[in-house]
Amino acid sequence: MNLALARAAIEALIFSSQEPITVNTISDAVSLSDHTVRQLLLDLIEEYRVAKRGIQIVEMAGGYVFLTHPECAGYIEKLQRTPRSVPLSQAALETLAIVAYRQPITRAEIESLRGVKGESALATLVEKGLIQEVGRRDSPGRPILYGTTRGFLKYFGLKNLNDLPSLEDWHVMAKPIKEVTKADEKDLQAGT
Amino acid sequence: MTYQVQLEIFAGPLDLLLHLIEQSKLDIYDIPIAIITEQFLSYLHTIELLNLEVAGDFIVMAATLMQIKARMLLPKPVTLDDREDVEDEEDPRKELVDRLMEYKRIKEASHLLRELEQEQMMFFARSGGVFTDQQLAPVSDPLKGLSIWDILDAFQTILISLTPSEENLSLPVEEISVKQVMEQILRSVTLTNGGMDFTEVFRDKRSRNSIITAFIALLELIRLHRVIAVQEAVFDRILLCLGPAEEVPM
Repeated sequence: MNLALARAAIEALIFSSQEPITVNTISDAVSLSDHTVRQLLLDLIEEYRVAKRGIQIVEMAGGYVFLTHPECAGYIEKLQRTPRSVPLSQAALETLAIVAYRQPITRAEIESLRGVKGESALATLVEKGLIQEVGRRDSPGRPILYGTTRGFLKYFGLKNLNDLPSLEDWHVMAKPIKEVTKADEKDLQAGT
Repeated sequence: MTYQVQLEIFAGPLDLLLHLIEQSKLDIYDIPIAIITEQFLSYLHTIELLNLEVAGDFIVMAATLMQIKARMLLPKPVTLDDREDVEDEEDPRKELVDRLMEYKRIKEASHLLRELEQEQMMFFARSGGVFTDQQLAPVSDPLKGLSIWDILDAFQTILISLTPSEENLSLPVEEISVKQVMEQILRSVTLTNGGMDFTEVFRDKRSRNSIITAFIALLELIRLHRVIAVQEAVFDRILLCLGPAEEVPM
């Protein structure tokens, strides 16, 4: 496969994928090395950027995806017929911030940090696919540990967890834990 | 009134404490516990009145504040020798200050996430060409330039202005649901151009119950983004405008 065709194929793959597609998946499909795929990808991204197109290729949640340019948002909104989606509530956002920066973390720890018992925001966040159970802590009661999902990265347009905005004295403390199950580990790694 | 309010806009007791400290421009490391406790309790009173689900958390915090206040009143243990052991005596407020500082960081983190969320809502992914399935646009903050505590403050003022004589008037009991009042408020906000004054919501309300019902209805509308509360400047009057969420079922 010549490189020009490979580049076109990469573009087609990203275009046809609903989810962010990883470099790994692309290189499997086009039978080229990750390195070559990455080079071609950067080239493509640059081309869209320079040409000031209405769509662009964006790195997100460990993969690449086509998104519209923010400057076009107003025009797309003109065609909206459904009610606008409501952003996360302050309570949900605070809970999510704790999970994101302090994962893996238990419900009790979140409640104590927010000073609010009976954390209903947790269920909302699990339902929205922004956080998930990532294992259990090896302490009395074996409480459930929560962590962010790949959906979380997508929602906030982050490449991975290190891409979270840094806070003074509050670094991302996420680290793989022993209790994490195989499937979750894969998901965590996709995010790191 | 058995309406159970579950409003996520009430961020919790730590949020209220931070608000009180910032509002009075107090030093977080040297909180005048007596003053803060008093202010906190006045809010707690309103929160209990509204029968909010979160009231329990506020009661726990009130107890903590009163305990700290009591400990600060106790005389320091007298040491026999004049060594500087007294310095080791821990400030009863320390644990609370630590929690507040930690909570402040959480708030900062949540603000950063909010910015990202808003940025992200400017990007649209492919949706198979069906515009009705399109990802949706950002909704402006329903509490523009003011916090939930400012609204609660304004509500307290209205409650206080309700004179007892009015409450004792024997009027037929009005049976009116929160949902009905929500519709009423929406109608009046729609009719006023450029925003309705916050106090208008309570203008023809005579009894304590109807005022509380109206306030809960208003909070619910704000939560659903059907009404936006705006305050142009601090201590300015609060104006209510129509929110961006038009068709969300109540």
